[in-house]
Amino acid sequence: MNAIELDGLSKTFRRRGSEPVHAVVDLSLSIPRGQIFGFLGPNGAGKTTTIKMMCGVVAPDSGGATLLGHDVRRDRAAAMRQIGVVLEGARTVYWRLSAMENLMYFGRLKGIRGKYLKPRGERLLKELDLWDRRNDDVREFSRGMQQKVAIAAALMSDPPIVLLDEPTLGLDVESARTVREWVSRLAKEENKTVLLTTHQLTMAQELCDRVAIINEGRLIADRTVGDLLSLFRRDYYRIRVGGQITGRVSLPEGLVIEEGEHETTISGDIAEQERLHEVLRFIREEGLPLLSVQRSEPSLEHIFVELLNEDRQ
Amino acid sequence: MIAAPLVLYNEARKELLITWNYRANLIIELLTLAVLFIFISYFVGTGAIATQGLPAFLLGYLIWFYAAIAISSMSSNLLGEASVGTLEQLYMSPVPTWVLFLGRVIATFLKSTIMVVLVGVTLMLVLRINLPLEPAALPPFFLTMVGLFGFGYAIGGLTLMYKQISSVSNLVNNMLLFLNGALLPVQYFPEWLETTARMLPTTQGIIVLRRVVIDGASLSAVWEDGSMVFLAVQSVVFLMVGWVLFNVGERIAKRRGSLGQY
Repeated sequence: MNAIELDGLSKTFRRRGSEPVHAVVDLSLSIPRGQIFGFLGPNGAGKTTTIKMMCGVVAPDSGGATLLGHDVRRDRAAAMRQIGVVLEGARTVYWRLSAMENLMYFGRLKGIRGKYLKPRGERLLKELDLWDRRNDDVREFSRGMQQKVAIAAALMSDPPIVLLDEPTLGLDVESARTVREWVSRLAKEENKTVLLTTHQLTMAQELCDRVAIINEGRLIADRTVGDLLSLFRRDYYRIRVGGQITGRVSLPEGLVIEEGEHETTISGDIAEQERLHEVLRFIREEGLPLLSVQRSEPSLEHIFVELLNEDRQ
Repeated sequence: MIAAPLVLYNEARKELLITWNYRANLIIELLTLAVLFIFISYFVGTGAIATQGLPAFLLGYLIWFYAAIAISSMSSNLLGEASVGTLEQLYMSPVPTWVLFLGRVIATFLKSTIMVVLVGVTLMLVLRINLPLEPAALPPFFLTMVGLFGFGYAIGGLTLMYKQISSVSNLVNNMLLFLNGALLPVQYFPEWLETTARMLPTTQGIIVLRRVVIDGASLSAVWEDGSMVFLAVQSVVFLMVGWVLFNVGERIAKRRGSLGQY
């Protein structure tokens, strides 16, 4: 059984006097247990709406979501027991309550009872380095600490599925690293399914087993990170030479030249060895010293931009 | 199924903890209410506190106080939670939302009762008001609260539908003080205003409570003269309408995706 099943999920927002916004269009996804799934897209692509439909706080126009076999609409209570959610935003917990009081409140809200409640809260606070501040009001915390409290509150019921909407947004480097390590641990050590949205594509590349890219509500890619990278792997070269190009000899077409004060970088797709030799011949004829030849791997960011551009065209 | 007592305890505890965190505000609010009562008493007594009518006025004033808290907790508090995102978290609980909001209502009732007792006892001591503790007042009191919180649900439903409703709820709160008979019994109103006032939450409750607590009428007497029957029917209607409006508001908010927006 898949952890998350989205079947033809669609949502259009209609406001009087403005054009309808097709936030999510016929979105279907299957996410197995234990996977870290990156849900990527530009602002307004429909990521948060999708997550909210999975949580039952936004009603879809059509289609449905199932969480570990429980339909979010028909079997709401059981479906909600499967998830812990941190939605985008700074205040998803009560700022006027302490960290511990928040965890106790959200734990009970998920149905956790006394015997398990306190030890669970204590464990989470210790693991997230919040133990010393457990009795302080959340409003006194830094943004990173507040986010940690929100994540801990979502994990109080030890749910098998965790939905994180922009979990590292606005966090400093250290807090973001803690969250990243935690997300990784949740999947690898606790076999939780994690769906996360982020604009930090290096984080997605580092953490996710699989990514889906959504644009204007439509799914434009859904592959493992490895598959995506190999699909877009090209013979992309960066060649550094000393000095500047004189222009006496013409450079093969389709390459980008960046000239610095003391060195020049020539980069671009060089699919055939013959073409590479041609470039190297050009450099020799220009009489420039060769500093390095580097074959680059595409990054998820590069692929993301390329896919979006393709989709927009 | 999550036990309802756990939910009720959870909501009551949270509500009281947050109230305690705002204790400075709370003290100012309580003082304002006590001072407002004294000012109004002077005003009504044309420059002197007329001790004769004070018990009836205090009774009405305290019921209005309940109304003010119930209405504001179902509008501005709900709105506040929607804007910061905690309302959405609430809807992600496996607990049915009616249980959850019943918990909130009971928590609000507990908080209001503590506040009413503090203000009421202070005013009774300071102004030497004798308001007898009449056990027979409990049934009409609870019926009044049922109607009031039903009305609160209706305001809550409207808040979920139309976010910028706080000015309306403030207006309703202020209107209630003048129209529910707390200041002046509705029998002294022009007929059309009396009829309108009797349709508002707490008006009939104040009438019945005054009959029982101040005039010493028995429950059977207020039942037989029809005033208690009217209160019961009105409270059930408020509760049902409130319930329906709240559910409609909830459905509309989920359809619009506005549970987490202001």
